[in-house]
Amino acid sequence: MSPRERVASGRRLRMPRGVSVGVSVGLVAVPLVVAVLGPLLPYDARPGLPYSPEGVLGTDGLGRDVLGLLLVGGRSALGMAIGAVVLAYLIGGLIGLTAASTRHRWLDEGMMRPLDVLLPLPSLLVISVVAVGWRASAIAITVAVAMVNVPTVARLVRAAALDAASGPVVEALRMQRESWFTIQLGYVGRSVLGPVAADLGTRITLAVFLVASVNFLGLGLSPTAPDWAVSVSRNREGLLLQPWSVLAPALLLVSFTLGFNLLADRLVHRSRRLVESAR
Amino acid sequence: MRSYAAQRAGLAIVQLAVLSVLVFVLTSLLPGDAADLRFTETLTPSQVAALRAELGLDQPPVERFVHWLGNVLTGDLGTSLISGGPVVDIVRHSIGATLVLTLATLAIVVPLAVALGIVMGTRENGRVDRAITSITLALSAIPDFVIAVVLVAVFSLKLGWLPATWIGGNLLSSPALLILPIAVLFGRTVCLLSRQVRAGTVAALNAEYVTQARRLGIPRRQLLLRHVLPNAAVPGVQELARTGDTLLGGVLVVEAIFAIPGFATALVDGVETRDIPTVQGLTLVLAVAALLINLGADLVCNRLVPRTALLR
Amino acid sequence: MTPVVRVTGLSATAGEAVLVDGVSFEVVAGEVTALVGASGSGKTTSALALLGEHADGVQLGGYVEVDGQLVVASNGVTAAAQSIRGRVVAYMPQHPGSALNPARRIGTTLQELAKLHDGDAREAVRAAQVPGDRSTLKRFPYQFSGGQRQRVALAQTLTCRPKVLVLDEPSTGLDSITRLQLVHELRDLAATGLGILLLSHDLDLVRALASRVVVLDAGQVIATDVLPPAPDLKVTGTSAAGQPLLTAMNLSASLRPRGRDVVLHEADLAVRAGACLGVVGRSGSGKTTLARCLAGLHERYTGTILLDDEPLPVLRKRTRDQHRRVQYVWQEVRGSFDERRPVDQQVARTAQRLRGLAPDKAHAEAVATLARLGVAAITAARPPSRLSGGELQRAALARAVLANPDVLICDEITTALDDHGTALVLDLLTELKDRGTALIWIGHDLRLVAAVADRVLVLDAGRVVEQGPPATITTEPHHELTRRLVAATRIGNPQSPPAETPPVLTTDSRSEPRR
Repeated sequence: MSPRERVASGRRLRMPRGVSVGVSVGLVAVPLVVAVLGPLLPYDARPGLPYSPEGVLGTDGLGRDVLGLLLVGGRSALGMAIGAVVLAYLIGGLIGLTAASTRHRWLDEGMMRPLDVLLPLPSLLVISVVAVGWRASAIAITVAVAMVNVPTVARLVRAAALDAASGPVVEALRMQRESWFTIQLGYVGRSVLGPVAADLGTRITLAVFLVASVNFLGLGLSPTAPDWAVSVSRNREGLLLQPWSVLAPALLLVSFTLGFNLLADRLVHRSRRLVESAR
Repeated sequence: MRSYAAQRAGLAIVQLAVLSVLVFVLTSLLPGDAADLRFTETLTPSQVAALRAELGLDQPPVERFVHWLGNVLTGDLGTSLISGGPVVDIVRHSIGATLVLTLATLAIVVPLAVALGIVMGTRENGRVDRAITSITLALSAIPDFVIAVVLVAVFSLKLGWLPATWIGGNLLSSPALLILPIAVLFGRTVCLLSRQVRAGTVAALNAEYVTQARRLGIPRRQLLLRHVLPNAAVPGVQELARTGDTLLGGVLVVEAIFAIPGFATALVDGVETRDIPTVQGLTLVLAVAALLINLGADLVCNRLVPRTALLR
Repeated sequence: MTPVVRVTGLSATAGEAVLVDGVSFEVVAGEVTALVGASGSGKTTSALALLGEHADGVQLGGYVEVDGQLVVASNGVTAAAQSIRGRVVAYMPQHPGSALNPARRIGTTLQELAKLHDGDAREAVRAAQVPGDRSTLKRFPYQFSGGQRQRVALAQTLTCRPKVLVLDEPSTGLDSITRLQLVHELRDLAATGLGILLLSHDLDLVRALASRVVVLDAGQVIATDVLPPAPDLKVTGTSAAGQPLLTAMNLSASLRPRGRDVVLHEADLAVRAGACLGVVGRSGSGKTTLARCLAGLHERYTGTILLDDEPLPVLRKRTRDQHRRVQYVWQEVRGSFDERRPVDQQVARTAQRLRGLAPDKAHAEAVATLARLGVAAITAARPPSRLSGGELQRAALARAVLANPDVLICDEITTALDDHGTALVLDLLTELKDRGTALIWIGHDLRLVAAVADRVLVLDAGRVVEQGPPATITTEPHHELTRRLVAATRIGNPQSPPAETPPVLTTDSRSEPRR
C-alpha cells in the first residue's frame, strides 16, 4: 500500500482502537471461568494462621486459604450482578418493547411515566435499604439491583425500538405482508440489539459495582462470606501483611469490569459507525 | 422556553410526591422495628407493645404516612428512635462533611473533565485521544473501594504521608484529611464525565452547522468556544446529573472507609439500628437533592440547546 | 468581464483514486455558472475546492484563483484559503436548515459574521426575506419552519458579503411553485452583482438560470454550455373504459386521534384498470396522506374506499389478495429499506410473501425487474447504504411491482432520478398500464404528472380543488393554485416572467466530450 493510499483510508485503518477484542474477552473470561468452575474444583483448602504466606496465595485474616476463597467467592460477586442485569433486561426490555409497539397511547404513557418518576431515586440507597431488610439474602440484593436498573433499561429499549418501529421500513415490511414475528424479531429486535449490546457492557459493570459496594459496606452478605468484594473489605487491614488476600479478589473484579468496559466501548463505536454509514 | 421550564418543574413536583410515598413505603418495609431490636432482651412482650404505642408504631401505615407527611411539610422530620433527638439535628450534623466532600470533588472534577473532554474530542482518534481514552476507560473499571483500600495502604499505612481515618475536627481546616477521599471519588467521576464531553464535542464538530460556520470563515478558537462548546456541554451536564448517583455511592463507601461522620455514615447506622424516622428523613433529603440536581441539569441543557417540548 | 473565480485543470485524488480530473470553469460577477452531473460526478468536490476545502486524505491539484488570490496551487491548498472563506466565497449546503446551530439565537450568529466580515446583517436579512425585527432575531432555529430556516441560512451567507455564492442542489425537496420562486430570487441575487455557482442535477433549474454550464461525469468535464435535451415524457397508453377499479368517497383524514388536525377533506376519486390518475399539489397539501389512506397505512380516516366494489379495509385487516392488489411506493425511499439486508433480497420478499413464489424464483424475478430499471444485479446485492438515492428509488418501485399489483400508488418516485432513470421507470409503468394495472401518480410537478396521467386531480390544503383531463387542466386552469402550478411548469421557458436573460444553451455541441 502506498503512503498516499494509507492516508486516504486512514480513518478505517485506525478504527480498531486500543486493545484488541481478544484481550477484552480474555479479561472477562478469566474471572468468569473462575466463578463458574471454581466451586467445582476439588481444591483442598486448609485453614492456617491469619495472614500467613502458606499455600499458593496465603491465608486471609481468618486464616482461610485465599485461593480456596477465590474459587468459591465468584459466584455471588458476578452471579448477582449478571442475574440483576438479566432480570433488569427481562422486565425493562419487556416494558420498553411493549410501550414502543403498542398502538394505545395510554398504555405507553401508563408504563413509561411511573418509570420517569423513579429515575432520580439514588440507587445505592434503595439497594442498601433492601439489603438490610432481608439481610444476607443474595436474591433480595439481586432483585433490588435489577429494580434500580429497570427504568433506564426500559427507556433505552423503548427509544431504540420506537426508532425502528415508527420508520417506513416497518411499513414496507407490512406492505409485503411479513408476519408480526418477522417484523418484531427480524427487524425491530435486531435494531434494538446494537444499542442494547453497547449498554449491556456498562450496565454489568455498574451492577458489579453496586453489588460489591453493598457487600463491601457490610450491608449485604454476611461478613464471613467468601464473596470477592467481602474479602476485599474484610482483609483491607492486612493488605501490607499479605497483599494477595486483598489484591487477588480485587484484580478478578477489576478484570471483569475492565473487559466489559472495553467491549462496550467497541460496540458503541461500531453501532455509531453503522448509523453513520447508513446516512 | 418558559413552557418547557414549567412542564419540567411540574414533573419534578409529581416526582417529589411519588418519591415521598416511596421513601415511606420502602423504609416501612424493613422487617423488625426499633422496639424489637433494642429491648427484646430486657422487656416483656407487653412492655414492648407499650413502647410501640408510645413510638406510634402500632398505628396503620396509612395513618402513619399522613402523620409523617404532615410533619415533613412543616419541617419536622420526626424523632430518632435511638438518640431520642430530632432527625433534623442528625441531618444538620451529618450534611456538612458530605457537602464538603462532594463539592470539593466536583470543583476539581468538572473543569478537568471538560478540559479533557474537549482535548480528546478535538483530536478524535488521534494519539492523545486514544491515550486519555484508554486511561479513563481503565480507571472507570476499578471499583471505588478497591482504589480506596489500595490508596490507604500505600499512602497512610506504608508511607504515613496522609491520615487514614477521620480523627475529629473540621474537614475544611485540615485539608490533608480530604486528599485521599477526594482522590478516590475523583477517578471514576472524571472518567465518566470527560467521556461524555468528548462524545458531545465529536458530535458537535461533525455537525453540519459547525462545518457551515467554518466555511463562513469563523476562526477555529471562536468556533470551538461559541459554536461547539454549548452543544458539547449537553451530554456532559446530563452525565453530571447521573454522576450524582455514582458520586453518592462513592461518598457512602468513602465515608465508611475513612470513618467520616457524614450523611452516609448516619444512614448506614440508621438502617442497621432500624431507626426508621432517621432513615426516612435522610433518604428523603437525599432523594430531594437528587431530584433537584436532575431538574437543574435539564433546565441548564434546555438553556444551552433549547427544545420545543418536554413531552414526546 | 473578468471572472471572480477561475478554475484551471483542477484535480482531486485520494491515493490511487481520481475524484476530479482536469476540471476548468469560471464564475463571473452577476452571472450564474452551473455544474451539472449525477451524484458522485465530482460537483461538490470541485465547488468546495473554491474554499480550499477537501475531505480527509484527498489531495487537490491544478489552479483555483478566487478574487485574484490563489486558493489551490499545484502543491495543494494555499494559506490564502482561510481569508476567502465567507468573505469572498460563501457556500450554501444542500440542506441549509441543518446548517443552523441549535444552541444559538439567529441574531447572534448574524452579528458575529457581520463583525468578522464587515458585513451588514440588517441588509442581508432583508435580502433573504427574513423578518428583521428584534424578536425574530432573538429566536432559536427550532422556532422557525423548514422554509424559513433556509432563508435564515441564506441570510447568514449574505451577511458575509461574498462575491461568489455556491449553491449545492438548492431545489432539493422544493415543490414546483417554490422552485419557481427560487429561480426569481436567484436571478435577483445575481442582478446585484453576485457571481453564483449552481450545483444541480435539476436540469430545468439550470436551464432557467445558468448562462454557463459545465457538465461533469465521473470527475471529468464532458460538455460545456450544452445540456442534454429535455426528455420526451409522453407516455402512450390507451385509457381503458369501464368500471372503476378503486374508488374513494368522502375521504377525510386527520393526523391525530378523534379527528384533530384534519389534513384531507372529503376527497373523492376513482381510477379504472389500465388508467393513470395523477394527483398534484404543493408540499403539505395532503397528497401523501391520501396515498397512505389508499395503501391502508394511514388509519385515521373516515369515508369509504372500494376495490372492485368491495370495501377495502386498513392494511392490517386486508386479505392476502387485497394486500397484493394494492401496492405503494414510498417517497422517502432510503428509510424504507432495512440497512442490514441486501436490496435484492428485500425486493424479492414481495413475490414470496404475496404471490407464494419460491425464494429462488422470486429472487430471479427481482433481479430481472431491477435490471430492467437500470439497477445492475451486482449493485442490488449490496446493502441499501451502498446504493444511490436514484437506485433505491427504482428498487422501491421494483419491490412494489413484484406483487403484480392491480393498483400501484407512486408517491413522488422520480425525485432522485436523472432523465435516463425517469425514462426507464416510465417505460415499465407504461407496460404495467397496458397489462391493466391502475396507477395513481403523485407529484408536485404538473408537467410530469400531466404527461403520465389520463386524469389529473389538484389538491390544495387537503381539498380537491380541480380535476379533469390533463389537457384541460394545463390549458384552462380554473383554480388559482392550478394556474400557479401551470406557470411553474414553464420554469425553463424563456417566456416565463420575469426572465431577463434567455439561457444561451443550445443542443449543438460546442466542445467534444473527452471520452
